[in-house]
Amino acid sequence: MTITLSRRLMIVGMALALLLPAGAAMADKRDDAAVGFVQKMGDIALTELTGKNITGKEREGRVRELLRKNFDVNAIGRFALGKHWNTATEAQRKEYLSLFEDMIVRTYAQRFGEYAGQQFNVKSAKAISERDSIVNSQVVQKDGPPVAVDWRVRNNAGNLKVIDVFIENVSMAITQRSDFDAVIQRGGGKVEALLESLRQRKK
Amino acid sequence: MPFMSRPKTQIAAKTFAMLMCAFLLTATTGCTSAKSEMHTTAVNDPLEPLNRGVFAFNNALDRALIEPAAKVYNFLTPDFFRAGVQNFMRNLRTPLIVANNVLQGDFKGAGVASARFVINTVGGVAGLFDVAGANGMPFEPEDFGQTLAVWGFGEGFYLVLPVIGPSSLRDTAGLAVDTVADPVRLYAFNRDEEWIYYTRGIVEGLDTRARLVTAVRDMRRNSLDYYAAVRSAYTQKRRSLVRDVNPDAPKAQAVQYYDEGWE
Repeated sequence: MTITLSRRLMIVGMALALLLPAGAAMADKRDDAAVGFVQKMGDIALTELTGKNITGKEREGRVRELLRKNFDVNAIGRFALGKHWNTATEAQRKEYLSLFEDMIVRTYAQRFGEYAGQQFNVKSAKAISERDSIVNSQVVQKDGPPVAVDWRVRNNAGNLKVIDVFIENVSMAITQRSDFDAVIQRGGGKVEALLESLRQRKK
Repeated sequence: MPFMSRPKTQIAAKTFAMLMCAFLLTATTGCTSAKSEMHTTAVNDPLEPLNRGVFAFNNALDRALIEPAAKVYNFLTPDFFRAGVQNFMRNLRTPLIVANNVLQGDFKGAGVASARFVINTVGGVAGLFDVAGANGMPFEPEDFGQTLAVWGFGEGFYLVLPVIGPSSLRDTAGLAVDTVADPVRLYAFNRDEEWIYYTRGIVEGLDTRARLVTAVRDMRRNSLDYYAAVRSAYTQKRRSLVRDVNPDAPKAQAVQYYDEGWE
């Protein structure tokens, strides 16, 4: 009885021992890909978006291109609308996603326009689910301590996209969702209130 | 939660927590545990109308007085000066941090904080230089609000304090305890040199606000409902600090990844 049990345990143990390194190696490979992806995106952003000699329109165009290539904007937009996505009509969803993208483009075009020599260092990555990894990075400022920036990167069959950014452990997607939810709630629970607010911002 | 697995401190902490629970939260929503809050993004804000009023007041005060003062401070002082001020302020806080580490059962953290205090006070010119930080002993903020969370207290509800800003019922109780136990305050009041305490408060506030100039400007500019955005960011940040208490946990674990709502 005890012998069989310990034998079974041994077999399980051996199987695990065989499986574990393989699993770890696979995760390593995926992590490396995620690290490389974020590093490359950061390098491109710093070379293409920070120049002082390009117009605001040009910068916005480049931000939009980089955003669409590297971020799953629709997934983020859906997440940010939260439960209100379900009550929105098809037309509202379409307009919302377009306004949402415009808002992100404006925000980041402005930020990169104010670039003041910060450095971007990607440190490591860690798989958190089947598809998602967290890439840890740091933005080193000239004055003041480095800022921790973590990227949630989703791997859809080898196609990598960022779906959330954490600045000092604060998720941008979650903050955005709380913000939008408050606007909708204060507008009587209507998605239209958020759309109107986003339209106003565009002006 | 990693910090829930400390049997020795658990028993004493549980008893104390139960007593505090009865005492502290009878008038409120009851004791929702800190544990259950860790897995949600929701913020309990039953006093929202009042909070929004205080928030608007704080915001007006900030725009009129505090933010301009912080900008002037940033403009007039060199980087090394501001770094020195921050190091000095943090060093003065360290005895309180050690006490909170111990109360949380985080003896490793208490050791690091104590070593930081000795090294920086002696080798860092009374704390002006963070010698310990440069040698692999980073500063980790701890306060009694976090200690209460480790003991299992929930946030209670979101609260905006006049001048001080975003807080929660739990963090306000924590702030009260930290204030009473603050060695700098005890020293200043015992010697009838209250100005030391008040000057420290103003410098600490200015130093903190000066570091947030860009972050606050970004948040004001990019949010549709500034109040709601700050409420969410504050709550996320506090929850990450509470998750952080396990000294063995890698830094990345302090970030909570929510799967609700992602496709």
